[in-house]
Amino acid sequence: MKAKKISASKKQQTKTAYSFLAFPLLVFSVFTIFPMLFAFVISFYDWNLLIPDKPFVGLANYVELAHDPVFLKAIKNTTVYTLGVVPTQTFLALFLAFIMNQKIRGRAFFRLAFYTPAITSSVVTSIIFVWIYSGPGLLNYLLSLIGVEGDDWLFNPKTALFAIMILNIWTTSGYFMISFLAGLQSIPQSLYEAAKIDGANQWQQFWRVTVPMVRPITFFVIVLGLIGCFQVFDQIYVMSSGGPVNSTTTMSYFTYQSSFKYFRLGYGAASAIVLAAIIFVATWLQKKYFPSEVN
Amino acid sequence: MRALVILCTICFVIQACQQGDEKPMRLSSWVSSPSETAVYREVLDGFRQKYPEQEFEYEPIPGNYPEKIQLMLGTRTAPDLFYLKGFTAPAYMDYDVLEPLDPFMSETEDFDVDDFFPFSIEAFRQNGQQYGIPKDFNPYVMFYNKEMFREAGIDSLPTDWLSFVQACERLTIDKDEDGKTDQYGFIVEPSVEMVMPFVYQNGGNFQNPDGSLGIADEPFIEALEFYHGLYTSGVATMAQDQGAQWNGDAFGREKCAMAISGGWLIPFLADQFPELDYGIFPLPRGKEQSTVAFTVAYSIPKASEHKKDAWQLLDYLVGEEGMSQWTSSGVAMPTRRSVAEKNGFYEHPVFKVFMESAEFARPFQVEYSERGYEELVVAFQAVFFADKAPRDALTDIKGQIEKYKLVR
Amino acid sequence: MRRLKIQKLFFYLILFGMTIIYLGPFLFSVSISFNADKDVLTWPIKLIPEEWTLAHYQSVWRDLPFGQWLVNSVLITSIQTVSNVFFSALAGFAFARLRFPGKNIIFSMLLASLMIPGIILLVPKFIVLNEFRLINTYGGLILPGLVSVVNIFLMKQFFETIPKDLEEAALIDGCSYFRIFWQIFLPVSKPALAAVAIYTFQGSWNEFMWPVIVSVTNDMFTLPVGMAFLKNEFSVQWPLLMAGTILISLPTIAIFLIFQRYFVQGVASAGLKE
Repeated sequence: MKAKKISASKKQQTKTAYSFLAFPLLVFSVFTIFPMLFAFVISFYDWNLLIPDKPFVGLANYVELAHDPVFLKAIKNTTVYTLGVVPTQTFLALFLAFIMNQKIRGRAFFRLAFYTPAITSSVVTSIIFVWIYSGPGLLNYLLSLIGVEGDDWLFNPKTALFAIMILNIWTTSGYFMISFLAGLQSIPQSLYEAAKIDGANQWQQFWRVTVPMVRPITFFVIVLGLIGCFQVFDQIYVMSSGGPVNSTTTMSYFTYQSSFKYFRLGYGAASAIVLAAIIFVATWLQKKYFPSEVN
Repeated sequence: MRALVILCTICFVIQACQQGDEKPMRLSSWVSSPSETAVYREVLDGFRQKYPEQEFEYEPIPGNYPEKIQLMLGTRTAPDLFYLKGFTAPAYMDYDVLEPLDPFMSETEDFDVDDFFPFSIEAFRQNGQQYGIPKDFNPYVMFYNKEMFREAGIDSLPTDWLSFVQACERLTIDKDEDGKTDQYGFIVEPSVEMVMPFVYQNGGNFQNPDGSLGIADEPFIEALEFYHGLYTSGVATMAQDQGAQWNGDAFGREKCAMAISGGWLIPFLADQFPELDYGIFPLPRGKEQSTVAFTVAYSIPKASEHKKDAWQLLDYLVGEEGMSQWTSSGVAMPTRRSVAEKNGFYEHPVFKVFMESAEFARPFQVEYSERGYEELVVAFQAVFFADKAPRDALTDIKGQIEKYKLVR
Repeated sequence: MRRLKIQKLFFYLILFGMTIIYLGPFLFSVSISFNADKDVLTWPIKLIPEEWTLAHYQSVWRDLPFGQWLVNSVLITSIQTVSNVFFSALAGFAFARLRFPGKNIIFSMLLASLMIPGIILLVPKFIVLNEFRLINTYGGLILPGLVSVVNIFLMKQFFETIPKDLEEAALIDGCSYFRIFWQIFLPVSKPALAAVAIYTFQGSWNEFMWPVIVSVTNDMFTLPVGMAFLKNEFSVQWPLLMAGTILISLPTIAIFLIFQRYFVQGVASAGLKE
């Protein structure tokens, strides 16, 4: 009886479903599907908004990218950035979550403390860190207390990228801490009890129980971290504009510059596609060599 | 409910679209300091009084002006009248986004193009068409701190590179003798505009008269070596070393005794450091006497829907009244000979230095895209921040910049 | 026993050390924003002001178009948040509860789109909006962020946990699906809706890359774009900059404090779904 009633409304269901989905799908098609396909088209053209005719140039943009020293530098910078930030922030997030999962007073306060950088606008944290890293800034003040003299960290091509990486680790580790915390809370207490009986101290418990148990979450955190780091933009825009000497030009900043500063949208689109391809390969490699479940 | 939300969104979008349509004429400029904006608003009030029926909106554009204007021209959101930098003019004239102004010029009876200094008119001219009317110009001159000069016992102003270096040395002082310099002779900045006067003085060029790239030629390299040498030898500082916003700020805070700047530093100092006792002299000469002059024009975009009105406003702003009022603060020099003569620019103790400099000043214009220019900036950064030798930095980058030559 | 105590002490030392690292920069920026000294940057820096002032906060309001930016940010954020909550619930409901042809294809397409790096869409989205003449309008700033796939996914997951009985009884009574959604599902979904709302709020309030490209004139800036612009214009006027940064951070921190329960739940479920 019941089943008949429901199957009778199948047509009704379809109608309802599509009317429910109409608006989301419209937005999705206009601002995701179409642009994605369109990106490939643009990348084959010399597309400048100020010039009415936009000649088809085939693969010329990609060929030029392969020979553009700034783009190659951007790939290098982005890779260094990602390889430096992702493992560090993942480990730090797990470590923070482990601390937060202990019996401590004022847990809500500490959670807020670690989480504040993550919920604050990237522009805000970048501005604060520009001050910290500036010549007469906080970092040099702290260094002067131990008798070290530092210069302007963001104006030195050797340190600028590294300085921005530290900012990124600082902001995102708190965010991923929350992800890990949820995972930690679902680990049965009995596992820790068992480890304690075996005489494991807290540090050993961390490595032997916690780390293996949160592997699926670690996978998720690393994937998100990879995608985020490969596309780092806000911090670069605010803190260094890619300088000095292109030492902080990342791939997405390069895309932005080519497209909206030099107005070569075809070239910019091509560089974004190369970046997307790199991200795909990286996540695929991760899935292959570090799957979320151990087989 | 759902339909309502969608409807609201659509209405909202349509409204947003229409916003642009019925606007009156718009005028845009960049923003450099509150004092400058105040003067500019007064000039605009003058126009309003004379033509009360003519409506327009003034929308100053803060931030990276060339980038923004380019974006606006490309997205058809550009104002009907805007400042055009002489430096970016060749590219824009190439792109064919600006309205040729010759028809307007010939229709306006009392518009005398010969009254403008030729170098300023030529900067906005291409293939026999005029794409902008120069509103003012500004040569780089040397600002110096009179008090510091007195203390150091320097009574004759430097006139060539040698005496300039000597002055810098005498003006560089460690006042509290803690091993750290407290006062520098000069302030440098790794920007192309700042180095160009020295290049010109040394007989070099960004782009040679035959169109080839001059940045790796001997005169250019030597000039950069000289300029960079001032910094490495410790007689010149940089703004960020002093926690200062820009060169003028550092000069105002008395971190350095001399600074190169244009007229815009005058209202800034009057506003922020009214006590400072400073003077101005022409840049010291190298092999020849030279400096860089910046000139700015008003242009009308081809896509404008208010071209006639925009021309009326333009004609007032570059006319005798508008230009006299605008240049009276010293922020920039008039591009009309008649205005300069009438307002005593040639006799004024400060302005006459600018007018004298105009005699040997050269505009900075290149037929290379923004990217090519940016590559040179990066090469300069490598010299100043990564200790790369000027010669290597320039020869390494030459091939790369050549790729960005604008093709006609 | 003694060893345990030392261990505990060590543990708290780490905890406090970490807290200082994570909160310290904010505390200093608060301190600078209240510093009345004009030469706040003279060496050695003063971490605690000798003289306190509210002048920089006043200056932010008075001398900068901060009010306009606030209006823009509030407008954009609220429209995007309401739209996301409503439409992701609707779409989530359709995926969780309705059977219709093409469901699997559409859903896997949405899922696959999560893998598309946002940067690739930047240029084409810009060109599309330029064709519609939506650059530098609220439409251009708001439209692309009206629905997000992650939120649809979150709502679908949540609705799947709701028992079928309720809905079937209502169907027998002849209720329309929209009424079932509106009167039965939404009221019991507050935690999930709150999570979607908070996420969207944070994301949209802090969004930078898109608004920085779409807003051309400064009357269309959002708060983060405005702050980034101020950083370039007033590069070393730290007290003013810090006052601005504090002001724009307050709403996000307040929302977190009020709704942190939902927040943590949301992150947790977002984490577990993968």
